[in-house]
Amino acid sequence: MLSRHAESFFWLARNVERAETVSRVLDVTYTRSMDRFQHDVWAHRAWRTALAIGTLNEPADVEPYDAETTFERCIFDVTNLSSITSTVAIARTNAINVRAELSTETWENVNELYLDVRAQRLDALTREGPARFLRRVRDRCQAIEGVTDATLLHVDGWNFLQLGRFAERAYLALRMLATLDSLDEPWPEWQALLEMASASMPFARASSHLPASREVIDFVLFDPTFPRSVGFCANEVDAALHRISETPQGRGYTNQAEKLAGRLCAEFNFADVTDVLAEGGHPFLQRVRGEVEALMAAIQAVYFPRIPVANAPLNPAGIVSA
Amino acid sequence: MLSVPRGSETSGVFDEFFHDAETPRPVYERLAETLRAMAPGELAGGVRAINAALLRRGVTFTVYAEDAGTERIFPFDPIPRIFAAEEWEHIAAGVAQRVRALNTFLYDLYHQARILRENAALREAVFSSNLYVREMIGVRVPHNIYIHVSGIDLIRDENGTMLVLEDNVRTPSGISYVLENRDVLKRTFPRLFEGYPLRPVDDYPRRLLRTLRDSAPPTAGEPNIIVLTPGVYNSAYYEHAMLARQMGVPLAEGRDLIVVDNTVFLKTTRGLERVDVIYRRIDDDFLDPLYFRSDSVLGAVGLMNVYRSGNVTLANAIGTGVADDKALYRFVPDMIRFYLSEEPLLPNVETYDCTDERLRRHVIGRLAEMVVKRTDGSGGYGMLIGPASTAEERAEFARAIEAEPRSYIAQPVIQLSSHPTLAGEELVPRRIDLRPFVLYGKRIDVPPAALTRVALREGSLVVNSSQGGGSKDTWVLGG
Repeated sequence: MLSRHAESFFWLARNVERAETVSRVLDVTYTRSMDRFQHDVWAHRAWRTALAIGTLNEPADVEPYDAETTFERCIFDVTNLSSITSTVAIARTNAINVRAELSTETWENVNELYLDVRAQRLDALTREGPARFLRRVRDRCQAIEGVTDATLLHVDGWNFLQLGRFAERAYLALRMLATLDSLDEPWPEWQALLEMASASMPFARASSHLPASREVIDFVLFDPTFPRSVGFCANEVDAALHRISETPQGRGYTNQAEKLAGRLCAEFNFADVTDVLAEGGHPFLQRVRGEVEALMAAIQAVYFPRIPVANAPLNPAGIVSA
Repeated sequence: MLSVPRGSETSGVFDEFFHDAETPRPVYERLAETLRAMAPGELAGGVRAINAALLRRGVTFTVYAEDAGTERIFPFDPIPRIFAAEEWEHIAAGVAQRVRALNTFLYDLYHQARILRENAALREAVFSSNLYVREMIGVRVPHNIYIHVSGIDLIRDENGTMLVLEDNVRTPSGISYVLENRDVLKRTFPRLFEGYPLRPVDDYPRRLLRTLRDSAPPTAGEPNIIVLTPGVYNSAYYEHAMLARQMGVPLAEGRDLIVVDNTVFLKTTRGLERVDVIYRRIDDDFLDPLYFRSDSVLGAVGLMNVYRSGNVTLANAIGTGVADDKALYRFVPDMIRFYLSEEPLLPNVETYDCTDERLRRHVIGRLAEMVVKRTDGSGGYGMLIGPASTAEERAEFARAIEAEPRSYIAQPVIQLSSHPTLAGEELVPRRIDLRPFVLYGKRIDVPPAALTRVALREGSLVVNSSQGGGSKDTWVLGG
């Protein structure tokens, strides 16, 4: 397929995945804020976490961390490329770029999501509560994912969507874990993290006793059957890369992206929470996040390089303001 | 009960729907019955749903004059326009004849130029046209086909005669509306279809694909075909994407192409892939910065050389624009006689050549009764509709015509025919035109898929989408 289209598929999936995650994080934080945060210090911390995930940034400590600020930054702010407005607009721009490759169902879901987001206003959302809107965003993102799986040929375009979706999902899970002050937090923090990672029910099913924090870490990072664990995502990225190059998975590599993906898989397939804690917790998360970033850069370099030709340069990710 | 109004009490406008004050024309009888049985508000409610669906589907065009990238839907009118089989046959034969003549003219013009030796006025018009591409002289194009896709604009005058208003032989658009209109009308108002044996429109993309395959360079084998678009900000991007998707071919931009060894390639995730046929929706000027506009980033460097050496087919060919330069329009009936030895099946609208001193005086003296168009214009931009103009506008056009007589033609105002159209909750008469599309590969093909555009403002004669026009589903009945 066209390199430019492959790039658009990759960014379409990344942005849909990010919109879904940000909407879930905001929803979890908002609903928990209504009964659980008894002290301001808890509320402050929870909103700070939401802001950190919704902006992919460490928020400065001077900012007031409250619901309205967080909604403004994480839903509406077009200068924040991770806000719902930005991610959905970028996703749609990329969908338009590959309009001829997408099924009608996928395109209409993307377009309807965009029209819905564009119609929202902060004051109305604050007044009525954001829960219904956030739920719609999440539903629509999942509908995009599902209807695409069901209607698109599972060849190149779909493979690049898989790359974008799972690379982004791994990356966001690592960012979520990084918002914890330590890996030895009291239970309510873990519960919030599980909900944000959409892992609450799967985790409850997988561990029937009262769990400890190390089991949560183990689950979110390594569980090979949980479709949002970092290890699961790494294996999906590796598999998609080998489908694209039509080479067998697990037997070496044919390009830099496959090399990095294979190494990431090896790390996750042959490690557990003991290794994380032995490395000191956060340093492990930071190192692995760097490896995921390097992998995404390698995918870019292999499949949609910026070739300097006499024509206009290839388009950078189709980033536009809303 | 919904009342269907007669077109116009005033004479001088042909009513498409009614034969006289009481009786609908035969093809409309059934539709009139169905409409009369509908509750007021039923149509309006359906249209609201249709417009919402079109926005959701992203069936939009871009209006250039407004903020960059403003997306609008092309307003849809639910009252279909109907052609009986025999009338459509006449129209199809007429536009096919016209396109055959124009195609032969282009071949002749870029080779022996026989017609120019016999017709001095035409010679003058060609050599003064900025759409005449000298680089095409002597270039062989596959099967000598230049005009693979065209849209011929027709209007019906007060006597009911179909006239050709304009030939669009560069990159005409509108077919996506034809396909969408039929689809949404079927889904929303199935009752209207009762008792009508319609010819389907949804095989247009297949017919286009066949035309493009037939036009491949003879050396190509199994041809690789692409649609070439200027990009997402082009007003017709939706259409480019729709056609590419339905034909199952890549939708490429200039930056996806690269010329190596006198061959055009696509840059793909598997490396470079050869391209044989380019259905291009980009004007000549932007195709190759080496030959044409050097600031163009929409085309591909070196494309013209590949084209000239016959390694790629462009549809349409380069240099077709001269055939729809409005200054050449008045010669088309002569071309039909010259090349085909036939009489034109569809007459022209009378046209005044402003380079002729006497005719120019005549035009400038009667601007209030004239339609004036720029010879290189399209899309309804930069024209004067005499009866709707102000004295200032007329004075401005008079100055412009005096300054550049070659750039303008004038035509008497033709009262376009009227057709019942929904306004609010009631039906009102509005003016319409017709754009049939003509495909020309190994043979000429006129699919029963034509666009009817409607001027939504009362009394307006301008149907262009950029100027507040809408569109109707157009039915061709089976024979």
